[in-house]
Order: sequence, then C-alpha cells, then structure tokens
Amino acid sequence: MTTDSLVMPKPATGVIRIGADGRPWIEGFRCGDCGAAFTEQTMACRRCASRNAPEAFRAVDTGKLYSWSVVHRSYPGVAVPFVSAIVDLEDGLTLKGTLRGVDADAVRQGMPVALVFDDAGGARDKDGVPYVGFHFIPRGDA
Amino acid sequence: MSDVYIVGADMIAFGRYPDRTYYQLGAEASLKALDDAGLSIKDIGAVYASSCFNAQSMLGQKVLKEIGQTGVPCINVSNACASGATAVREAFIGIKSGIYDAVLVVGSEKNPRGMLGGAPHDGPPPEGLFGSESMPAVFAEAGMVHAAAYGTTIEQFAKVAVKNHQHATMNPKAAYRKETPLDEVLASEMIAWPLTKLMCSANVDGAAALVLVSEKKARELGMSRAVRIRASMLTSDPYEPRNPVMFDANSVTRLAAAKAYEMAGLGPQDLDVVELHDCFATAEILHYENLGLCGEGEAGRLIDSGDTALGGRIPVNVSGGLLSKGHPIGATGVANIVEIVEHLRGEAGARQVSGAKIGLSHVLGFGAAAGVHILEKA
Repeated sequence: MTTDSLVMPKPATGVIRIGADGRPWIEGFRCGDCGAAFTEQTMACRRCASRNAPEAFRAVDTGKLYSWSVVHRSYPGVAVPFVSAIVDLEDGLTLKGTLRGVDADAVRQGMPVALVFDDAGGARDKDGVPYVGFHFIPRGDA
Repeated sequence: MSDVYIVGADMIAFGRYPDRTYYQLGAEASLKALDDAGLSIKDIGAVYASSCFNAQSMLGQKVLKEIGQTGVPCINVSNACASGATAVREAFIGIKSGIYDAVLVVGSEKNPRGMLGGAPHDGPPPEGLFGSESMPAVFAEAGMVHAAAYGTTIEQFAKVAVKNHQHATMNPKAAYRKETPLDEVLASEMIAWPLTKLMCSANVDGAAALVLVSEKKARELGMSRAVRIRASMLTSDPYEPRNPVMFDANSVTRLAAAKAYEMAGLGPQDLDVVELHDCFATAEILHYENLGLCGEGEAGRLIDSGDTALGGRIPVNVSGGLLSKGHPIGATGVANIVEIVEHLRGEAGARQVSGAKIGLSHVLGFGAAAGVHILEKA
C-alpha cells in the first residue's frame, strides 16, 4: 500500500484494523460457544444468543467468491462499471467488496480470490490523512 | 376470537403526483375504501397508517385531518417495504383482540426520486469501493446465487418482467401499461448484471387502503363481498451466516410463509392467485421457491412453463407487480392485498383470475421483514 510514512492511515470501513506499523488487516468476531463469525462486535451472539460476547480474531486474506454483480449504474458520482463481490473467507467470515483485475465475463461462483489493501481510491480526510480500504483480486494459485 | 374480514379495499392509480402530498394521496385511498365498505370514518375505531419515509410525520393523523378528525387512535408504522403488511397485521390483531369492530388501514408514499438507498457514511463513500449497496446490485447478487446453484439464465429472469408488464396492460391502476417483449427487456439499459432497467421495480407514488372488521360487523354489513383473513404473518430475519454482508431475501420469507400456511391450515397447493414482492425480476424467481409455488431449483422452469401467467396454474402478480404497477414503498403491502381482494370478489375486470377462492400476498422489507397474508372469499 502507499501511505505517507509519517501519517497513520484511517480505516475506510469498520472491519479494518491498523497495526502500529501502519499495516492493515480485517478483524472478525467469533462466538466461543457456537463458532459463528461476524463482521461486527455484538453484545451477544446473533446465532445462538450466548451472552458470552463474540471475541475478536484476525481474518485470513484468502477466500472464494460466493456471489457477484457487474454494476453499470449506481449513485451519482460513482465510477462504473465495477464488479461487486461477496466473498467467503476461508475462516468463515463473509465480506463484500469490489473485485478488481478480472474480466467481468470470467467471474464465476467459487473462484479463488485474495484480499488486498489499498489507499481507498486516494481519499483523504479534511486534514489530509489517507484512508485505507480493501478489495479483492483473483488468486492465481488455484 | 373473532375472525377478521376485509369489507373495503381500494387504491389510487399508481404514478407520479408532484402537486399532491402523501397524506392527500392516503386520504383519497381511505375515502375510496370506506365507500367500498359502505362505511363512514365515524364508524372506524382506529387507523393504522404505513409509510416507509413519512410514518414519523403522524401520517394517520394527517389523513384524518383531510377526511374527519374523530379522535380515534392512530398507529403509524414503518418497516421498509413491509410497512403496509405490518399495518395490516397490527389492524388484524386489533380486531382479533376484540378491542375494535372496524378499523382503517392506509398505506401511502411519495418515493424519493432516483435510485433509492445510499445512506450517508463517514469517510470515503463505500459504493464501488466496498462492493455495491444499491438495491439492484443486492438483488442481482441474490439472483446470481440461484443462477450458480441451478443454472438460472438471464432470459428466465427477464421473462418475469415480460409477464408482469403484460399483466399491467390489463390494470388501469398500474403506473406503466406497456407490453415489453423479451428482446426489449434484455436490450434495456444494464443496471446491475443480470438486471436491466425493465427488470427493476418502478419508482412511483401511490396509496392504498383497506377496511377490516369483526365477524359481527361483517354480518351486519352483509357477507356478499367480504374476504376473510385466514392468515396474517410478519417475521424478522433469522440468523444467516452471510447476513448482514449479504442481504438474505429468502429465509425471512420462508419463515413467514411457513407460519402463514400453518395459521391458515392451507398449503401452496391451495392457492389460486399470488401477489409477491417482485421488487426485481430475480426476487420473483427466488420467491417462487420461498413461497412453495414450486420445488427447490425449479423456479426457472416455472417461469418458462407459463404457469405463473394469467390463465396458468398459479398466476403471480397479475396486477403488473412492483415491476410495472409500481412500488410506492409504504403503500405496496396494502395494495398487494387490495389486488387479491379484487380477484376473490370476482371484480378484477380484464385480468380476473377465473374462479379464485384463495389468494396470498407477500412483501419483503430490506433489513429485514416479511409479511404474508392468506385471504379467502367469505
């Protein structure tokens, strides 16, 4: 990723965590009682209602495409087309992101993808601090 | 407990009403439903008013300011696209409990223009960066799961739009009454693969209303046009592993349908006519299976067979559906029931489903909520 070494980037979305070295990862939460995984911290488990709150874990960066759409029209100001993808990570967490570096005609359910981080399209906050985001790319090793 | 009957049902023609307010539209629909029932607002014990975008504005009270302020309770509900079904369900409970003998349900909406959704976020806008939150993309992705599992084709999804647009040509209250052949549906602007513009619901304004009464009141009024509510069911989304990253259009509907069939003591094989939530063409395919109209994986073949068209085994969305009758969010759930009532009464005109005795209406609210009502000619 490309960030100013003197400026710690901000997460562009809630599931991103950033280490002291500026390196981002995805944080999930897993119920210790039933094993269900979530992208948000909740007070009790959404699945089994256990009051033992789901615990944070660091998500893996590989998964498979579950569903997608090629978006040709969106809200004003959004660059189109892009591939909107729903990806099941190998540790049970599901993420939605944009799938890049792929011919739209070649997109298939089950295709292996990797999670990569970038500077969230060059976005900056009012103080010029960069945001870090994520997207998916096809994984060539499968 | 008393059975609950619908004795008044009507709606305004869906379309665009730039010079009128949402409560004026709701008031007009309310007066039409009261006239249909042969009742006055002075006979009504409570008002249940639904809107997605204006329920917080005291919609029911605003309607009464237009048609007569009788001092009765007004219950204003908002539950996304299931708002109307939620109001009907609450009205059903009010009669069922014995508190009221006659209530008015009114759903009214002036939709925002443009593509709905796109809630504000802190930081960079998520759309395009983190996938898509637009409704066409969400329902495209739901449809692509079906396509991956069962080989459903874009032509099969598109045939839903062909059928519903054809049905709308027979409905004088539909917003769009233009036949659209398959090649025209496929050639219209691609919004979110596999959904073209003609496979997306029509963003319009509208209002619909119902009068619900107890069995005692129905007998007083005469049962000749009364329709009995055999089941009124509302659900929220049960846990699904990909939710909320991926909106689940299925489990919330399956839960509502199962509970409604149980309440009615009926099954999908008993239905003569169905109005279901075709917010997008992909959704209708999914709901064929969610409502049990066919077996798992058979929805593509069901649309191919013509069985869900008028004259077929189980006609679906004979009104034109949300795709061409239109989808004024908070009015939709009430209007779907108005359509079923007209068929059960034998008053649906050119689009009448011959001999319809039992009908089902379904709506799905993003977030999620599902409402299913099963109605029977009294």
